[in-house]
Amino acid sequence: MKAPGRPSIPASFWGIPIPGPVALASGTCGFGIELAEMNLLDDVAFVFSKAVTPEPRDGNEPPRIYDTGMGLLNSIGLANPGIEKVLSDVLPRAASIGRPLVINVAGATVEEFARTVSALEASGVHAGYEVNVSCPNVEAGGMAFGVDPSEVGRVTRAVRRETDRPFAVKLTPNGGDMVRAAQEAEAAGADAVTVCNTFLGMKIDWRTGTPVFRRGVAGYSSPALLPLVVAGVWQVSSAVGIPVIASGGVREASDVLELLSAGASLVQVGTGVLRRPSLPSEIAAGLRELLCED
Amino acid sequence: MNGGMMDESALVMESRFVDDGIARLVLEAPGIAAECRPGQFAMLEPSPGAFPVTRRPLTFSGCDRSAGTVSFLFDVVGKGTSLLSEASPGDRIRLLGPLGRGYDITPGRWLLIAGGMGAAGFPFLLSRTGGGLVLAGMRSSRGIGCLPAGSRLATEDGSAGVRGLVTDLLVDIDWDAFDSVAVCGPAPMMKAVVLAAPRSAAHRIQVSMESGMGCGWGVCGGCPVPSSGGGYLSCCRDGPVFRADCIDWERV
Repeated sequence: MKAPGRPSIPASFWGIPIPGPVALASGTCGFGIELAEMNLLDDVAFVFSKAVTPEPRDGNEPPRIYDTGMGLLNSIGLANPGIEKVLSDVLPRAASIGRPLVINVAGATVEEFARTVSALEASGVHAGYEVNVSCPNVEAGGMAFGVDPSEVGRVTRAVRRETDRPFAVKLTPNGGDMVRAAQEAEAAGADAVTVCNTFLGMKIDWRTGTPVFRRGVAGYSSPALLPLVVAGVWQVSSAVGIPVIASGGVREASDVLELLSAGASLVQVGTGVLRRPSLPSEIAAGLRELLCED
Repeated sequence: MNGGMMDESALVMESRFVDDGIARLVLEAPGIAAECRPGQFAMLEPSPGAFPVTRRPLTFSGCDRSAGTVSFLFDVVGKGTSLLSEASPGDRIRLLGPLGRGYDITPGRWLLIAGGMGAAGFPFLLSRTGGGLVLAGMRSSRGIGCLPAGSRLATEDGSAGVRGLVTDLLVDIDWDAFDSVAVCGPAPMMKAVVLAAPRSAAHRIQVSMESGMGCGWGVCGGCPVPSSGGGYLSCCRDGPVFRADCIDWERV
């Protein structure tokens, strides 16, 4: 294992100049259109879009979110308008957000990932992709792709065949070995890995004995999970040569510096932006302050 | 729809309990006060600390543009609303708004139908419609002080007004006498009211839906409302006020 180092602020990522290390996480910013309308993207390096699947998806039945008081459980169900509408309606509007857009893609089979990326290649709006391997793999009994490193390799190879644009593979912390999955993704041609997706959580109403969410489990995010992400970023960045994008638990500038120390090249903010749309700018101001103190 | 939203650090002007478990907040937020309309809402940050991680959606119950203040009336139901109710005058609360689509304020006679604290937004609505008949159904007499003067009342325990549900008050209503109908309350109550209304009135009924929300400004997908056209509408962006016939009540 490499020793964590002093953080350095990256000036570019994937060869694209960036104003700072903060990016917007998938699922918490749409396609950046709302934040662009409010002029809140100035300090955002990259916008990672909500997940796109081949066909439109209505998403899960309500309820879809639950705030435990200490963190947020979500069970959105990949609600999205599908490739066709994304190409015809969404991307033309996202063309003017003024920041590089990375499209998060999801699928139930390896072929669906490939088909989604292949279709999106028709657009010149986006800079790259983020491959969501946390979704259930229909060909493997519904277990998430990301749990099995060889399946991560299979998805990565299929996406690599479809595009010359850079892409990241977003790993899952649930049940698999993120280090091995990251190594497979690197070997199969990924340009980065994102560490990591939400943690599996559950809320049960003990009075009735029923889960709050219809699917039982949900994705959990919270600033309290930051140390888990720091550990994941450190372990993964020690094991691969491609850049690591940190995601999870970030709410202030010092969190960003800690993740850069752990080995991240870019840091996503997600749940924190739902609460504070201006969080990237607040973090940028915080970074200037902390780095001036040195 | 939410392009005009502001995130104001609002000064608490007034914070008190108006009844058992019902809190009232008056916040100085001149930008939001200048723009907000009845039926719209704001996301309030319960604490400047890390937790809870999301804000709480509350509908505007009043707005004083000249004073630059907005007011909220809410049931304390959990950690977030409990923290908000503990705010003291002089504190600051981050306030994101105005959010969502409010009532379509059309001229003519208004009928307003509330279930419980669904009445919270009615004072603001009445200030813009120039009045209307208010029907309210409550569990008990708790909270009746929040109702606009002259409201017709039903309580489940019979402690005030007639004993029964708000739908029992609909029996005497001539729907054709009203040009617009506003309904706000728990989902089963709104569904019962919409189903009790004659089919010909459906397009005149506006319902204010409630949902848990992650963001309040249209990006998280956490507040689905079943659409009569299939799939879901977004409560925070497409609503929270909808025409009753836009909603698939079978799935509510």
